[in-house]
Amino acid sequence: MQNPESLGLLGIAIALAGGAIRGSIPYIYVSLGECLTEKSGRINLGMEGILLMGAMTAFGVSDRSGSPWLGALAAAIVSGLLGLLHGALTELPGVNDIAAGIAMIIFGSGLAFFFGKQFVAPMAPQLPVFDLGASVANTALHAALRMSPLFFLGIAVALVLHYAFERTRWGLHLRAVGDAPDAAYSMGIAVRRHRIVATTIGGALAGIGGSHLTLYFPGIWSEGISGGQGLMAVALVIFARWSPLRCLAASLLFGGAQALGPSLQSAGISGFYHVFNASPYLLTLGVMIFSCSRNRTLTGIPGAIARRG
Amino acid sequence: MTSQAALSSRLEAVIIPFTAIVAALTLFGMFCAWVGASPAGVYASIYKAGFGSWYSWQNSLLRAAPLMLCGLATALPARAGIITVGNEGAFVVGGLASAAAGLATLQAPAWLCLLVMAVAGGVAGGLWIALSAGLQYYRGINAVISSLLLNYIGIALLLQLVEGPMHDPGSLNFPATYPIPESHQLGHIPGSRIHYGLVFGVIACIVSWFLLERTVWGMKVKIVGGNGRAAKLVGLPLGTLVLTASFLGGACAGLAGMVEVAAIHGRASQAISAGYGYVGILVAFLSRQSPLRILVVSVILGAVLASGGILQRDHELPDATITVFEGIAFLAILASEALSGRISFVRSVIKREARELADAKS
Amino acid sequence: MHAPPAVEAVGISKTFGAVRALDGVSLEVRPGSFHAIVGENGAGKSTLAKCLLGFYHPDAGEVKLDGAVVTTTAEARCAGLGMVFQHFTLAPSLTVAENLVLARPDLPLVLNWKRERERLRSFLERAPFLVDLDTRVEYLAAGQKQKVEILKQLYLGTRVLILDEPTSVLTPSEAEEVMTVLSALVQQVSLSVLLITHKLREVMAYADQVTILRQGRWVASSATRDIDVPRIAELMIGRETPMEQITQPVVRASAPVLEIRDLLVRGDHGLPSVKHVSLTLNAGEILGIAGVSGNGQRELVQAIGGQRDIESGSITAFGVPYHASREAIRTTGLFTLPEEPLENATVPRMSVAENLALRTFDRPPLAKFGFLLERGALRRAAEEEVRHFSIRAPSIWSPIRNLSGGNVQRAVLARDLANGEAKILVVANPCFGLDFAATAFVHNQLVDLRNRGKSVLLISEDLDELLKIADRILVMSGGEIVHETMRTDLDLAVVGRYMGGH
Repeated sequence: MQNPESLGLLGIAIALAGGAIRGSIPYIYVSLGECLTEKSGRINLGMEGILLMGAMTAFGVSDRSGSPWLGALAAAIVSGLLGLLHGALTELPGVNDIAAGIAMIIFGSGLAFFFGKQFVAPMAPQLPVFDLGASVANTALHAALRMSPLFFLGIAVALVLHYAFERTRWGLHLRAVGDAPDAAYSMGIAVRRHRIVATTIGGALAGIGGSHLTLYFPGIWSEGISGGQGLMAVALVIFARWSPLRCLAASLLFGGAQALGPSLQSAGISGFYHVFNASPYLLTLGVMIFSCSRNRTLTGIPGAIARRG
Repeated sequence: MTSQAALSSRLEAVIIPFTAIVAALTLFGMFCAWVGASPAGVYASIYKAGFGSWYSWQNSLLRAAPLMLCGLATALPARAGIITVGNEGAFVVGGLASAAAGLATLQAPAWLCLLVMAVAGGVAGGLWIALSAGLQYYRGINAVISSLLLNYIGIALLLQLVEGPMHDPGSLNFPATYPIPESHQLGHIPGSRIHYGLVFGVIACIVSWFLLERTVWGMKVKIVGGNGRAAKLVGLPLGTLVLTASFLGGACAGLAGMVEVAAIHGRASQAISAGYGYVGILVAFLSRQSPLRILVVSVILGAVLASGGILQRDHELPDATITVFEGIAFLAILASEALSGRISFVRSVIKREARELADAKS
Repeated sequence: MHAPPAVEAVGISKTFGAVRALDGVSLEVRPGSFHAIVGENGAGKSTLAKCLLGFYHPDAGEVKLDGAVVTTTAEARCAGLGMVFQHFTLAPSLTVAENLVLARPDLPLVLNWKRERERLRSFLERAPFLVDLDTRVEYLAAGQKQKVEILKQLYLGTRVLILDEPTSVLTPSEAEEVMTVLSALVQQVSLSVLLITHKLREVMAYADQVTILRQGRWVASSATRDIDVPRIAELMIGRETPMEQITQPVVRASAPVLEIRDLLVRGDHGLPSVKHVSLTLNAGEILGIAGVSGNGQRELVQAIGGQRDIESGSITAFGVPYHASREAIRTTGLFTLPEEPLENATVPRMSVAENLALRTFDRPPLAKFGFLLERGALRRAAEEEVRHFSIRAPSIWSPIRNLSGGNVQRAVLARDLANGEAKILVVANPCFGLDFAATAFVHNQLVDLRNRGKSVLLISEDLDELLKIADRILVMSGGEIVHETMRTDLDLAVVGRYMGGH
């Protein structure tokens, strides 16, 4: 059996590609969820806490019930409720959605760690995997071709959102709500309802992303399991200019960045371990410096968000 | 304002945070009941652990010290209009820098070594927050996101240096830097277990209050934070003011990191990242970004933090319970802010006076 | 096609808190008529319109369409009522097509864009204006946006079109185009128009009926052929006002105090808003800049005031290059008063006293030792200015956002004029939204400043205001200065043409 080291650079590339696909999944869901939320004119910074709560819920329900899909579903529901909380809270007059987001991070992670304490088992029943490379001899390639169904589901969600934004009544109304809420209101569109629904669904999507963490990769529950992915997804949406398809592409990029450290390590390159592990954060920071500019308003930004800041 | 309206408004400023804390405690009590602990018992334990004895008081004050400094790290930039959550990152790099500075000046007398450590910690922390603020001001990058990212980067930096160049081979299982000898550590206030970090915290709060409310600089900062356009109109240098306010805030957090190293651990390691930074954000928001209120709220929250152990021991509640409480408190203060102006007696008075507004603007 | 419904308001009253916005107002808009409602700010015109539409529920009285009582927005819309508001109700990052489709109440769940575009195209063939369906609204000029708003209403099948000050963002020629089109539709009896306006010339030119409101009460209704402008004005105000002429000494050439050369300033979208503007302001004159809003005036004022970066070009004050630092502002005495002062020139949450001290808090007597605030001196200065400028505020420590618009404007003026340091005052639309008394006060302050040998640069969208007090008038259109004239030699037709960009 060949191993990555002997393949050299190609081996690293393969490991990286597989890791990118695997690591992109939480980003895909959280960024799509945040994209939807922001299209309606809300920023939900609390995604980190919501993601953690989803991860913990998925693990717990899967552990107790034996069914990972039930776990993922429960994660979606619980995280959706947290999204609903954020959406409802920010509809109150005078509530700053940035501050509410920070509160949600603390609250969500607190709940997740609290309820997560009881799960001592190292692993819960995991989500099934499509073993696309079953017939491939090379272990590295084989490993890279093991894909979670959540990946394909995520692509489907991106396509659905893209289609919905452009071609459905709901999507048109939502974009109007996010762009010019006063105008939408005077046209009789239910502004609050659209925003709350979008934020709730956004939370639910983040929950599914969280379930991937505990039920596939890394497949365990621990308090450090996310490490800021929820927040990086928010930056990702800005980088992707609020387009679901670009969110998909950017998620793969970020997944790759996250896989950089481990890929290099598996190829025998150690040292600067923490620096490599920090590469997603550095990438995000770099991405934001590149995308943002003081004077120009970003193209594609929903009007309601541009005007707040 | 008429005296009635002024009184109502001032009452409101007290009632709202008070209501929030009461609501938070109530919700937290309900949460405890739901998970099988007795709310009354929990409250009693928190009180006992926080204020029950001189021993408890010291525990609370010990925790209040970093909270005061970390609270200022959010509050000062916030007054200048920048919301940042980089307290934890500034705390950590401050601790790291102070450890490095301390180890480099061990030959000097203790007071000088400590002074260098404090300056190093403050400068490092200040620069860390000023970086986020600068990115927002000059590049339009949301400071909450950039500062949160910098938190993680700061911790990565800490771990890398603690395991790498600054590593003490003697620290076997738990990587740490070389220790700072006790002679050069930050001592305790005579007659107590409380280190001088508390003094730093109290002084920082008072000085911050003075700067904001009684000086020209503070007025400038508040104008910038109140309306940037107006600030530009009267020729105020926004960039400079934003950066200095953020630097000062970050310096406080960095100083807290120095205290953590110099008084508690005696060396830099992963342990110094204790999460005070995030609680500091809560303190700042509960205090509505006001330094004197931060002083008081820090003590209250310090008491709550001090009860972690007793909750675990007597009620079998994990330490994440405190985090849940913090989250509830934060949500409560935000919801209660929405009530501002809605409380009926305040409302009727202010409404009467705002009538002119509706009059000419319709 | 049957005629539009007859609209009737019977004894409508509406109170907000203790403000009586409408008091027993009755009105009739006959099918196929062009009906104007006039009145000062606060007369209740917009409130009445919103009651007709069902946005507000009247406390007394009722709205009848074709004799049937109507109470909800849905019913009003069904019967064919629609309104074009003063603020735009378009979503900026959506295209014109998307905005038009968005307005339709009966959209299917899934949009068939091919069918929608077909429908839009056939509609546009019969429509009075031409717009590009695929342009994003944010890239349209104000006049085009207004046309899209009207098209939107027509697309929805509105039969009674209510317009709230529609021509305030249009050039004279665009206004004429729009009004003529609406007039034609009314002639064909396919549309009734209810026009809320304060431009009496428009009323006489296009409307066949006029109703005058004053302080929430109905004053009079008449066919326009039976009434004239002075009488309408008299009824609006409630007393005789002769057309005010502030007689003033005619200013001849004197030393330049402010020179702007070749100024290039970019707007929010990165495109140039001020395109190589040059102008000279002389001592002892009021120089007006006329123009429809959106032609670069806002960016020009922001650039002079230091709120917006200057890409190229220069500003020289008293012969010295000028950059809007705090020191330079003080020594040069160049104070800027942008439009919407509450949002742009004050800190809304801060007190009146603190806002009054915004330019002086860091100098003696308000500052001690160069860094300490002297609160007693701040209080005394504020009390003095409040008294001198008659600023009505509950207390000098009230947040300034609690004041009415007129008092905010007084406060901001007081701040700049109080200690006599102002040598050049740059003001934009100072009287927007103010009543007669406040407007007169502001104008007197500006003329007084001029008479003392100082200079005023007055940017205004109200040509009448400029005709009243400016000595020299420039016209700004499309980011450039396109015309210059002395007030005494002014030809309204020529100015109007330049404002329109011809």
